Amino acid sequence: MNRPLSLRSLAGTVVGCATLQAAAQDAQQWLDRMTSAVEELSYRGTFVHLLGDEVETLQIIHRNDNGRISERIVSMDGVGREIIRNEDEIYCILPDQQIVLFESRRDVSPLVSSLPSYSEDLARSYEIALLHTERVVERDAQVVAIHPRDEFRYGYRLWLDSETAMPLKSQLRDGQGRTVEQMAFTQIDIGGSIPPSALEPTIDARGFETITPPDNAVAEAAPLWRATRLPDGFQLSVATLTRMAGSENPVEHLVYSDGLATVSVFVESPDSETEVAGGLSRIGSANAFSFEFSGRQITAVGEVPAVTVESIATSFASP
Amino acid sequence: MSGDDMSEQIQDQMSAFTDDELSPEECAFLVRRLERDPETRDRVLRYSIIGAALRGELPNPDPDVLRRRVRAELDGVRPMETSRDATTVQRRYFRPAVGLGIAASVAVAALATLYAINSPIDPAGFEAQVAGVPTGVVGQDNPPSYVVPSEAAGPLTLGDSLSPPPIRLTNYLITHGQYAPGIRRTSIHTNVISNEGTTVLVTQPPLQER
Repeated sequence: MNRPLSLRSLAGTVVGCATLQAAAQDAQQWLDRMTSAVEELSYRGTFVHLLGDEVETLQIIHRNDNGRISERIVSMDGVGREIIRNEDEIYCILPDQQIVLFESRRDVSPLVSSLPSYSEDLARSYEIALLHTERVVERDAQVVAIHPRDEFRYGYRLWLDSETAMPLKSQLRDGQGRTVEQMAFTQIDIGGSIPPSALEPTIDARGFETITPPDNAVAEAAPLWRATRLPDGFQLSVATLTRMAGSENPVEHLVYSDGLATVSVFVESPDSETEVAGGLSRIGSANAFSFEFSGRQITAVGEVPAVTVESIATSFASP
Repeated sequence: MSGDDMSEQIQDQMSAFTDDELSPEECAFLVRRLERDPETRDRVLRYSIIGAALRGELPNPDPDVLRRRVRAELDGVRPMETSRDATTVQRRYFRPAVGLGIAASVAVAALATLYAINSPIDPAGFEAQVAGVPTGVVGQDNPPSYVVPSEAAGPLTLGDSLSPPPIRLTNYLITHGQYAPGIRRTSIHTNVISNEGTTVLVTQPPLQER
Protein backbone atom coordinates (compact mmCIF):
# COMPACT_ATOMS: atom_id res chain seq x y z
CA MET A 1 0.00 0.00 0.00
CA ASN A 2 1.34 3.36 -0.90
CA ARG A 3 1.52 5.68 2.01
CA PRO A 4 1.64 9.43 1.66
CA LEU A 5 5.02 10.95 2.31
CA SER A 6 5.09 11.95 5.91
CA LEU A 7 6.15 15.39 6.94
CA ARG A 8 9.05 13.90 8.85
CA SER A 9 10.40 11.92 5.90
CA LEU A 10 9.91 14.92 3.62
CA ALA A 11 11.83 17.08 6.04
CA GLY A 12 14.50 14.42 6.23
CA THR A 13 14.81 14.34 2.47
CA VAL A 14 15.06 18.11 2.27
CA VAL A 15 17.68 18.21 5.01
CA GLY A 16 19.58 15.40 3.32
CA CYS A 17 19.60 17.21 0.00
CA ALA A 18 20.66 20.43 1.66
CA THR A 19 23.49 18.60 3.42
CA LEU A 20 24.68 17.04 0.18
CA GLN A 21 24.52 20.39 -1.57
CA ALA A 22 26.47 22.05 1.22
CA ALA A 23 29.10 19.31 1.06
CA ALA A 24 29.41 19.77 -2.70
CA GLN A 25 29.78 23.50 -2.23
CA ASP A 26 32.47 22.93 0.37
CA ALA A 27 34.34 20.69 -2.06
CA GLN A 28 33.88 23.29 -4.78
CA GLN A 29 35.40 25.92 -2.50
CA TRP A 30 38.39 23.67 -1.91
CA LEU A 31 38.86 23.35 -5.66
CA ASP A 32 38.60 27.10 -6.11
CA ARG A 33 41.16 27.64 -3.37
CA MET A 34 43.42 25.04 -4.95
CA THR A 35 43.31 26.79 -8.31
CA SER A 36 44.33 30.05 -6.70
CA ALA A 37 47.02 28.42 -4.59
CA VAL A 38 48.74 26.68 -7.49
CA GLU A 39 49.07 29.93 -9.37
CA GLU A 40 49.33 32.62 -6.72
CA LEU A 41 51.56 31.10 -4.06
CA SER A 42 55.31 30.93 -4.25
CA TYR A 43 56.63 27.46 -3.54
CA ARG A 44 59.41 25.06 -4.31
CA GLY A 45 59.63 21.38 -3.81
CA THR A 46 60.48 17.93 -5.05
CA PHE A 47 57.80 15.61 -6.28
CA VAL A 48 57.52 12.12 -7.62
CA HIS A 49 55.62 11.59 -10.83
CA LEU A 50 54.16 8.15 -11.35
CA LEU A 51 52.76 7.14 -14.64
CA GLY A 52 51.71 3.56 -15.05
CA ASP A 53 54.88 1.57 -14.58
CA GLU A 54 57.20 4.54 -14.50
CA VAL A 55 58.36 6.87 -11.77
CA GLU A 56 60.36 10.04 -12.10
CA THR A 57 61.56 12.65 -9.65
CA LEU A 58 61.16 16.32 -10.51
CA GLN A 59 61.72 19.65 -8.90
CA ILE A 60 59.32 22.57 -9.21
CA ILE A 61 59.99 26.19 -8.37
CA HIS A 62 57.03 28.54 -8.65
CA ARG A 63 57.46 32.23 -8.00
CA ASN A 64 54.86 34.95 -7.75
CA ASP A 65 56.62 38.29 -7.79
CA ASN A 66 53.85 40.85 -7.38
CA GLY A 67 51.69 39.09 -9.89
CA ARG A 68 54.48 38.15 -12.28
CA ILE A 69 54.40 34.39 -12.43
CA SER A 70 57.42 32.34 -13.30
CA GLU A 71 57.96 28.65 -12.90
CA ARG A 72 60.61 26.06 -13.54
CA ILE A 73 60.13 22.32 -13.59
CA VAL A 74 63.18 20.17 -14.03
CA SER A 75 63.48 16.43 -14.27
CA MET A 76 66.05 15.17 -11.81
CA ASP A 77 66.38 11.93 -13.69
CA GLY A 78 67.70 11.03 -17.09
CA VAL A 79 68.82 13.83 -19.34
CA GLY A 80 67.30 16.48 -17.09
CA ARG A 81 64.79 18.17 -19.33
CA GLU A 82 63.54 21.51 -18.12
CA ILE A 83 60.52 23.64 -18.76
CA ILE A 84 60.56 27.29 -17.77
CA ARG A 85 57.50 29.51 -17.78
CA ASN A 86 57.81 33.23 -17.56
CA GLU A 87 54.28 34.58 -17.56
CA ASP A 88 52.98 33.68 -21.03
CA GLU A 89 56.32 32.55 -22.42
CA ILE A 90 57.49 28.99 -22.18
CA TYR A 91 60.92 27.54 -22.85
CA CYS A 92 61.23 23.81 -23.08
CA ILE A 93 64.81 22.58 -23.07
CA LEU A 94 65.25 19.10 -24.49
CA PRO A 95 68.95 18.23 -24.16
CA ASP A 96 68.45 14.76 -25.57
CA GLN A 97 67.20 16.27 -28.81
CA GLN A 98 69.45 19.34 -28.60
CA ILE A 99 66.39 21.52 -28.97
CA VAL A 100 64.94 24.52 -27.19
CA LEU A 101 61.26 24.97 -27.88
CA PHE A 102 59.90 28.43 -27.30
CA GLU A 103 56.20 29.05 -27.17
CA SER A 104 54.50 32.31 -26.43
CA ARG A 105 50.80 32.65 -25.90
CA ARG A 106 50.28 35.31 -28.52
CA ASP A 107 46.84 34.80 -29.90
CA VAL A 108 46.40 36.28 -33.33
CA SER A 109 42.69 36.30 -33.18
CA PRO A 110 41.02 35.22 -29.99
CA LEU A 111 37.44 34.48 -30.92
CA VAL A 112 36.30 32.89 -27.73
CA SER A 113 38.41 33.15 -24.66
CA SER A 114 37.37 32.09 -21.24
CA LEU A 115 39.77 29.88 -19.38
CA PRO A 116 38.17 26.78 -17.98
CA SER A 117 37.00 27.27 -14.44
CA TYR A 118 35.26 25.23 -11.83
CA SER A 119 31.55 25.86 -11.73
CA GLU A 120 28.31 24.32 -10.62
CA ASP A 121 28.19 22.64 -14.02
CA LEU A 122 30.90 20.33 -12.74
CA ALA A 123 28.21 18.38 -10.95
CA ARG A 124 26.86 17.32 -14.35
CA SER A 125 30.08 15.54 -15.13
CA TYR A 126 31.52 14.61 -11.75
CA GLU A 127 30.58 13.56 -8.27
CA ILE A 128 32.65 15.62 -5.88
CA ALA A 129 33.11 14.78 -2.24
CA LEU A 130 35.17 15.87 0.70
CA LEU A 131 36.72 12.87 2.38
CA HIS A 132 38.92 12.59 5.42
CA THR A 133 42.08 14.44 6.35
CA GLU A 134 45.54 12.94 6.18
CA ARG A 135 49.12 13.87 6.84
CA VAL A 136 51.15 14.41 3.70
CA VAL A 137 54.73 15.70 3.75
CA GLU A 138 54.22 16.52 7.41
CA ARG A 139 51.25 18.74 6.69
CA ASP A 140 47.54 18.23 7.28
CA ALA A 141 45.73 17.64 4.04
CA GLN A 142 42.07 17.54 3.09
CA VAL A 143 41.28 14.74 0.67
CA VAL A 144 38.89 15.61 -2.16
CA ALA A 145 37.47 12.91 -4.40
CA ILE A 146 36.20 13.70 -7.88
CA HIS A 147 34.55 10.81 -9.66
CA PRO A 148 33.60 10.97 -13.34
CA ARG A 149 30.00 10.24 -14.26
CA ASP A 150 30.92 8.72 -17.62
CA GLU A 151 33.82 7.27 -19.58
CA PHE A 152 34.75 10.53 -21.32
CA ARG A 153 36.78 11.97 -18.48
CA TYR A 154 39.09 10.93 -15.69
CA GLY A 155 38.49 11.34 -12.01
CA TYR A 156 40.79 12.89 -9.47
CA ARG A 157 41.83 12.34 -5.90
CA LEU A 158 43.45 15.41 -4.38
CA TRP A 159 45.27 15.89 -1.09
CA LEU A 160 45.05 19.63 -0.44
CA ASP A 161 47.08 21.39 2.19
CA SER A 162 44.67 22.34 4.96
CA GLU A 163 46.24 25.73 5.37
CA THR A 164 46.79 26.86 1.78
CA ALA A 165 44.84 24.37 -0.38
CA MET A 166 48.04 23.65 -2.26
CA PRO A 167 47.81 20.15 -3.77
CA LEU A 168 50.40 18.05 -1.97
CA LYS A 169 49.45 14.93 -3.81
CA SER A 170 47.13 14.25 -6.71
CA GLN A 171 45.94 11.24 -8.58
CA LEU A 172 44.35 11.02 -11.99
CA ARG A 173 42.01 8.04 -11.96
CA ASP A 174 40.05 6.21 -14.58
CA GLY A 175 36.40 5.31 -14.26
CA GLN A 176 37.26 2.11 -12.41
CA GLY A 177 39.22 4.02 -9.82
CA ARG A 178 42.61 2.86 -11.06
CA THR A 179 45.36 5.42 -10.79
CA VAL A 180 46.53 6.57 -14.20
CA GLU A 181 48.95 9.19 -12.95
CA GLN A 182 50.10 10.33 -9.56
CA MET A 183 52.10 13.31 -8.43
CA ALA A 184 53.21 13.51 -4.82
CA PHE A 185 55.50 15.97 -3.14
CA THR A 186 58.24 14.42 -1.07
CA GLN A 187 59.30 17.85 0.12
CA ILE A 188 57.74 21.29 -0.29
CA ASP A 189 58.36 24.80 1.00
CA ILE A 190 55.38 27.10 0.63
CA GLY A 191 55.86 30.84 0.81
CA GLY A 192 59.13 32.58 1.45
CA SER A 193 61.36 34.37 -0.94
CA ILE A 194 62.55 32.75 -4.15
CA PRO A 195 65.43 34.49 -5.91
CA PRO A 196 65.18 35.00 -9.68
CA SER A 197 68.31 32.88 -10.08
CA ALA A 198 66.31 29.84 -8.99
CA LEU A 199 64.31 30.14 -12.19
CA GLU A 200 67.31 30.07 -14.46
CA PRO A 201 68.02 26.93 -16.47
CA THR A 202 70.88 24.72 -15.37
CA ILE A 203 71.39 23.30 -18.84
CA ASP A 204 73.87 24.95 -21.14
CA ALA A 205 71.79 25.16 -24.29
CA ARG A 206 74.42 26.81 -26.45
CA GLY A 207 74.46 25.09 -29.78
CA PHE A 208 70.95 23.75 -29.41
CA GLU A 209 68.47 24.38 -32.18
CA THR A 210 65.91 26.93 -31.03
CA ILE A 211 62.47 26.60 -32.50
CA THR A 212 60.38 29.73 -32.12
CA PRO A 213 57.07 30.97 -33.48
CA PRO A 214 57.40 33.19 -36.56
CA ASP A 215 57.26 36.90 -35.85
CA ASN A 216 55.66 37.73 -39.13
CA ALA A 217 52.84 35.24 -39.17
CA VAL A 218 49.92 36.74 -41.00
CA ALA A 219 46.52 36.40 -39.50
CA GLU A 220 43.98 34.93 -41.80
CA ALA A 221 40.26 34.77 -41.53
CA ALA A 222 39.22 32.27 -38.95
CA PRO A 223 38.26 29.08 -40.77
CA LEU A 224 35.62 28.37 -38.18
CA TRP A 225 36.37 24.72 -37.67
CA ARG A 226 34.24 23.34 -34.91
CA ALA A 227 33.45 20.02 -33.30
CA THR A 228 30.02 18.90 -34.36
CA ARG A 229 29.43 16.73 -31.35
CA LEU A 230 30.90 16.73 -27.89
CA PRO A 231 30.73 14.45 -24.88
CA ASP A 232 28.17 15.70 -22.41
CA GLY A 233 29.44 18.55 -20.30
CA PHE A 234 32.17 19.73 -22.67
CA GLN A 235 31.82 23.11 -24.27
CA LEU A 236 33.97 25.43 -26.33
CA SER A 237 35.91 27.74 -24.05
CA VAL A 238 38.66 29.07 -26.33
CA ALA A 239 38.83 29.46 -30.10
CA THR A 240 41.80 31.31 -31.46
CA LEU A 241 44.35 31.54 -34.20
CA THR A 242 47.76 31.25 -32.68
CA ARG A 243 51.38 31.28 -33.74
CA MET A 244 53.25 28.16 -32.93
CA ALA A 245 56.90 27.31 -33.13
CA GLY A 246 57.67 25.59 -36.41
CA SER A 247 54.73 26.93 -38.37
CA GLU A 248 54.69 29.78 -40.83
CA ASN A 249 50.93 29.98 -40.71
CA PRO A 250 48.70 30.54 -37.74
CA VAL A 251 47.20 27.45 -36.26
CA GLU A 252 43.59 27.28 -35.24
CA HIS A 253 43.39 26.26 -31.62
CA LEU A 254 40.13 25.30 -29.97
CA VAL A 255 39.79 24.36 -26.33
CA TYR A 256 36.87 22.32 -25.07
CA SER A 257 36.37 21.96 -21.35
CA ASP A 258 33.96 20.51 -18.86
CA GLY A 259 35.34 22.83 -16.20
CA LEU A 260 37.99 20.40 -15.07
CA ALA A 261 39.22 18.39 -18.03
CA THR A 262 40.34 20.19 -21.17
CA VAL A 263 40.82 19.02 -24.74
CA SER A 264 42.69 21.14 -27.26
CA VAL A 265 42.09 20.72 -30.97
CA PHE A 266 44.66 22.07 -33.41
CA VAL A 267 43.81 22.57 -37.06
CA GLU A 268 46.56 23.43 -39.51
CA SER A 269 47.96 22.75 -42.94
CA PRO A 270 50.19 19.71 -42.66
CA ASP A 271 53.72 19.76 -43.93
CA SER A 272 56.88 17.84 -43.22
CA GLU A 273 57.69 20.03 -40.24
CA THR A 274 54.36 19.85 -38.56
CA GLU A 275 53.02 16.46 -39.48
CA VAL A 276 51.88 14.30 -36.60
CA ALA A 277 51.50 10.56 -36.91
CA GLY A 278 47.91 9.70 -37.63
CA GLY A 279 45.85 7.81 -35.12
CA LEU A 280 46.12 7.61 -31.40
CA SER A 281 49.19 8.58 -29.41
CA ARG A 282 49.87 8.71 -25.72
CA ILE A 283 52.22 11.22 -24.18
CA GLY A 284 52.40 10.70 -20.48
CA SER A 285 48.88 10.82 -19.14
CA ALA A 286 47.68 12.76 -22.19
CA ASN A 287 46.12 11.16 -25.23
CA ALA A 288 46.19 12.58 -28.74
CA PHE A 289 44.32 11.65 -31.87
CA SER A 290 45.29 13.04 -35.25
CA PHE A 291 44.07 12.66 -38.81
CA GLU A 292 43.88 14.58 -42.05
CA PHE A 293 40.66 15.86 -43.46
CA SER A 294 39.98 18.22 -46.30
CA GLY A 295 43.60 19.26 -46.55
CA ARG A 296 43.94 19.97 -42.85
CA GLN A 297 45.62 18.12 -40.06
CA ILE A 298 43.29 17.88 -37.10
CA THR A 299 44.76 16.86 -33.76
CA ALA A 300 42.95 16.60 -30.44
CA VAL A 301 45.02 16.34 -27.29
CA GLY A 302 44.14 16.27 -23.62
CA GLU A 303 44.43 14.48 -20.31
CA VAL A 304 41.28 12.54 -20.97
CA PRO A 305 40.60 8.96 -22.02
CA ALA A 306 41.49 8.03 -25.58
CA VAL A 307 37.84 7.72 -26.55
CA THR A 308 37.33 11.40 -25.78
CA VAL A 309 40.09 12.80 -28.00
CA GLU A 310 39.11 10.45 -30.80
CA SER A 311 35.44 11.31 -30.48
CA ILE A 312 36.03 15.06 -30.49
CA ALA A 313 38.63 14.98 -33.27
CA THR A 314 36.61 12.85 -35.66
CA SER A 315 33.54 14.98 -35.16
CA PHE A 316 35.38 17.69 -37.11
CA ALA A 317 34.90 15.54 -40.19
CA SER A 318 31.20 15.09 -39.64
CA PRO A 319 28.56 17.42 -41.01
CA MET B 1 77.99 -4.23 16.02
CA SER B 2 79.90 -2.49 13.26
CA GLY B 3 78.24 -0.30 10.69
CA ASP B 4 78.82 -2.90 8.04
CA ASP B 5 77.24 -5.59 10.16
CA MET B 6 74.27 -3.37 10.76
CA SER B 7 73.94 -2.55 7.10
CA GLU B 8 74.08 -6.22 6.26
CA GLN B 9 71.46 -6.97 8.82
CA ILE B 10 69.14 -4.38 7.33
CA GLN B 11 69.87 -5.64 3.85
CA ASP B 12 68.84 -9.07 5.01
CA GLN B 13 65.71 -7.62 6.52
CA MET B 14 64.88 -5.80 3.30
CA SER B 15 65.46 -8.96 1.37
CA ALA B 16 63.31 -10.96 3.76
CA PHE B 17 60.63 -8.29 3.63
CA THR B 18 60.26 -8.51 -0.10
CA ASP B 19 60.39 -12.27 0.05
CA ASP B 20 57.55 -12.31 2.52
CA GLU B 21 59.61 -13.65 5.37
CA LEU B 22 59.28 -10.93 8.00
CA SER B 23 56.71 -10.84 10.74
CA PRO B 24 54.48 -7.73 10.96
CA GLU B 25 56.50 -6.60 13.96
CA GLU B 26 59.72 -6.95 12.03
CA CYS B 27 58.24 -5.03 9.11
CA ALA B 28 57.23 -2.18 11.37
CA PHE B 29 60.66 -2.21 12.96
CA LEU B 30 62.34 -1.99 9.58
CA VAL B 31 60.28 0.98 8.51
CA ARG B 32 60.95 2.78 11.79
CA ARG B 33 64.63 1.99 11.52
CA LEU B 34 64.91 3.53 8.08
CA GLU B 35 62.86 6.48 9.14
CA ARG B 36 64.96 7.54 12.10
CA ASP B 37 68.42 6.53 11.04
CA PRO B 38 69.71 8.70 8.19
CA GLU B 39 73.06 6.98 8.14
CA THR B 40 71.57 3.57 7.74
CA ARG B 41 69.14 4.95 5.23
CA ASP B 42 72.06 6.20 3.18
CA ARG B 43 73.69 2.84 3.46
CA VAL B 44 70.53 1.22 2.31
CA LEU B 45 70.61 3.63 -0.57
CA ARG B 46 73.87 2.20 -1.76
CA TYR B 47 72.62 -1.27 -2.26
CA SER B 48 69.02 -0.42 -2.46
CA ILE B 49 66.36 -2.73 -3.65
CA ILE B 50 64.91 0.33 -5.20
CA GLY B 51 68.04 0.93 -7.19
CA ALA B 52 67.78 -2.53 -8.61
CA ALA B 53 64.14 -2.08 -9.40
CA LEU B 54 64.70 1.38 -10.82
CA ARG B 55 67.27 0.03 -13.20
CA GLY B 56 65.01 -2.79 -14.22
CA GLU B 57 67.27 -5.44 -12.77
CA LEU B 58 64.59 -7.20 -10.86
CA PRO B 59 63.36 -9.76 -13.32
CA ASN B 60 59.92 -9.96 -11.87
CA PRO B 61 59.02 -7.76 -8.94
CA ASP B 62 55.97 -9.76 -8.12
CA PRO B 63 53.09 -7.37 -7.48
CA ASP B 64 51.16 -10.05 -5.64
CA VAL B 65 53.85 -10.35 -3.02
CA LEU B 66 53.88 -6.64 -2.39
CA ARG B 67 50.11 -6.49 -2.38
CA ARG B 68 49.95 -9.24 0.19
CA ARG B 69 52.59 -7.55 2.28
CA VAL B 70 50.72 -4.26 2.31
CA ARG B 71 47.45 -5.95 3.11
CA ALA B 72 49.12 -7.85 5.90
CA GLU B 73 50.59 -4.64 7.23
CA LEU B 74 47.22 -2.94 7.20
CA ASP B 75 45.29 -5.88 8.55
CA GLY B 76 47.89 -6.88 11.07
CA VAL B 77 47.60 -10.43 9.77
CA ARG B 78 50.36 -12.68 8.69
CA PRO B 79 49.86 -13.45 5.00
CA MET B 80 49.81 -16.97 3.70
CA GLU B 81 53.16 -18.36 2.88
CA THR B 82 53.86 -18.62 -0.78
CA SER B 83 55.84 -21.15 -2.69
CA ARG B 84 57.57 -18.52 -4.72
CA ASP B 85 60.55 -20.16 -6.31
CA ALA B 86 62.51 -16.98 -6.38
CA THR B 87 65.13 -18.04 -3.91
CA THR B 88 67.68 -17.65 -6.61
CA VAL B 89 66.85 -14.01 -7.02
CA GLN B 90 66.59 -13.18 -3.38
CA ARG B 91 69.78 -11.91 -1.88
CA ARG B 92 71.81 -10.92 -4.83
CA TYR B 93 69.55 -8.03 -5.70
CA PHE B 94 70.19 -6.47 -2.36
CA ARG B 95 73.91 -6.27 -2.57
CA PRO B 96 75.48 -2.85 -2.62
CA ALA B 97 75.26 -1.17 -5.98
CA VAL B 98 78.19 1.06 -6.68
CA GLY B 99 77.51 4.58 -7.83
CA LEU B 100 73.81 4.30 -7.72
CA GLY B 101 73.55 8.01 -7.36
CA ILE B 102 70.03 8.48 -6.18
CA ALA B 103 69.00 10.16 -2.99
CA ALA B 104 67.87 8.24 0.02
CA SER B 105 64.64 10.09 -0.06
CA VAL B 106 64.07 9.14 -3.64
CA ALA B 107 64.82 5.55 -2.83
CA VAL B 108 62.48 5.53 0.10
CA ALA B 109 59.86 7.42 -1.89
CA ALA B 110 60.21 4.83 -4.58
CA LEU B 111 59.72 2.16 -1.96
CA ALA B 112 56.46 3.83 -1.09
CA THR B 113 55.74 3.85 -4.78
CA LEU B 114 56.12 0.12 -4.88
CA TYR B 115 53.40 -0.10 -2.30
CA ALA B 116 51.22 2.43 -4.07
CA ILE B 117 51.45 0.75 -7.42
CA ASN B 118 50.92 -2.72 -6.20
CA SER B 119 48.08 -2.19 -3.82
CA PRO B 120 44.65 -0.67 -4.33
CA ILE B 121 44.89 0.51 -0.75
CA ASP B 122 46.56 3.80 -0.11
CA PRO B 123 49.55 3.20 2.10
CA ALA B 124 48.94 6.53 3.72
CA GLY B 125 50.77 5.79 6.89
CA PHE B 126 53.85 4.66 5.12
CA GLU B 127 53.81 7.57 2.71
CA ALA B 128 53.40 9.95 5.59
CA GLN B 129 56.55 8.54 7.10
CA VAL B 130 58.34 8.72 3.81
CA ALA B 131 57.23 12.27 3.28
CA GLY B 132 59.35 13.55 6.10
CA VAL B 133 62.58 12.35 4.59
CA PRO B 134 64.91 15.10 3.37
CA THR B 135 65.28 15.05 -0.37
CA GLY B 136 68.71 16.22 -1.32
CA VAL B 137 69.81 14.53 -4.49
CA VAL B 138 73.30 13.24 -4.21
CA GLY B 139 73.84 12.50 -7.83
CA GLN B 140 72.14 11.96 -11.11
CA ASP B 141 74.71 9.93 -12.92
CA ASN B 142 72.61 6.84 -13.06
CA PRO B 143 69.04 7.93 -13.51
CA PRO B 144 66.39 5.59 -12.30
CA SER B 145 64.33 3.84 -14.90
CA TYR B 146 61.88 2.18 -12.67
CA VAL B 147 59.70 -0.55 -14.08
CA VAL B 148 57.10 -2.38 -12.11
CA PRO B 149 54.18 -4.10 -13.78
CA SER B 150 50.99 -2.15 -13.40
CA GLU B 151 47.64 -2.10 -15.06
CA ALA B 152 46.89 1.43 -13.98
CA ALA B 153 47.71 3.17 -17.23
CA GLY B 154 46.00 0.59 -19.34
CA PRO B 155 47.59 -2.09 -21.40
CA LEU B 156 49.48 -1.28 -24.54
CA THR B 157 47.62 -2.30 -27.61
CA LEU B 158 49.12 -4.92 -29.85
CA GLY B 159 50.97 -3.38 -32.71
CA ASP B 160 51.80 -0.28 -30.75
CA SER B 161 55.11 1.37 -31.35
CA LEU B 162 57.13 3.38 -28.89
CA SER B 163 59.17 6.25 -30.16
CA PRO B 164 60.17 9.78 -29.20
CA PRO B 165 57.29 12.16 -29.68
CA PRO B 166 57.47 14.42 -32.69
CA ILE B 167 58.27 17.98 -31.80
CA ARG B 168 54.87 19.01 -33.12
CA LEU B 169 53.12 16.97 -30.49
CA THR B 170 55.30 18.60 -27.86
CA ASN B 171 54.28 21.99 -29.32
CA TYR B 172 50.67 21.04 -28.99
CA LEU B 173 51.06 19.83 -25.41
CA ILE B 174 52.83 22.99 -24.29
CA THR B 175 50.22 25.19 -25.91
CA HIS B 176 47.44 23.03 -24.52
CA GLY B 177 48.93 23.36 -21.06
CA GLN B 178 48.66 27.12 -21.20
CA TYR B 179 44.89 26.81 -21.27
CA ALA B 180 44.54 24.13 -18.62
CA PRO B 181 43.69 24.80 -14.98
CA GLY B 182 46.76 25.20 -12.78
CA ILE B 183 47.29 21.73 -11.45
CA ARG B 184 46.60 20.16 -14.83
CA ARG B 185 49.10 22.51 -16.43
CA THR B 186 51.75 21.29 -14.02
CA SER B 187 50.88 17.74 -14.94
CA ILE B 188 51.01 18.48 -18.67
CA HIS B 189 54.36 20.23 -18.38
CA THR B 190 55.63 17.33 -16.32
CA ASN B 191 54.58 14.97 -19.08
CA VAL B 192 56.44 17.11 -21.61
CA ILE B 193 59.75 16.82 -19.79
CA SER B 194 59.29 13.43 -18.23
CA ASN B 195 61.58 10.84 -19.74
CA GLU B 196 59.08 8.07 -19.43
CA GLY B 197 56.09 10.21 -20.16
CA THR B 198 57.22 11.36 -23.54
CA THR B 199 56.90 8.09 -25.31
CA VAL B 200 54.36 7.97 -28.02
CA LEU B 201 51.99 5.15 -28.56
CA VAL B 202 50.67 4.90 -32.07
CA THR B 203 47.74 2.56 -32.10
CA GLN B 204 45.67 2.77 -35.19
CA PRO B 205 45.95 4.39 -38.57
CA PRO B 206 43.29 7.03 -39.01
CA LEU B 207 40.05 5.96 -40.49
CA GLN B 208 39.34 9.31 -42.09
CA GLU B 209 40.42 10.38 -45.53
CA ARG B 210 44.06 11.24 -45.98
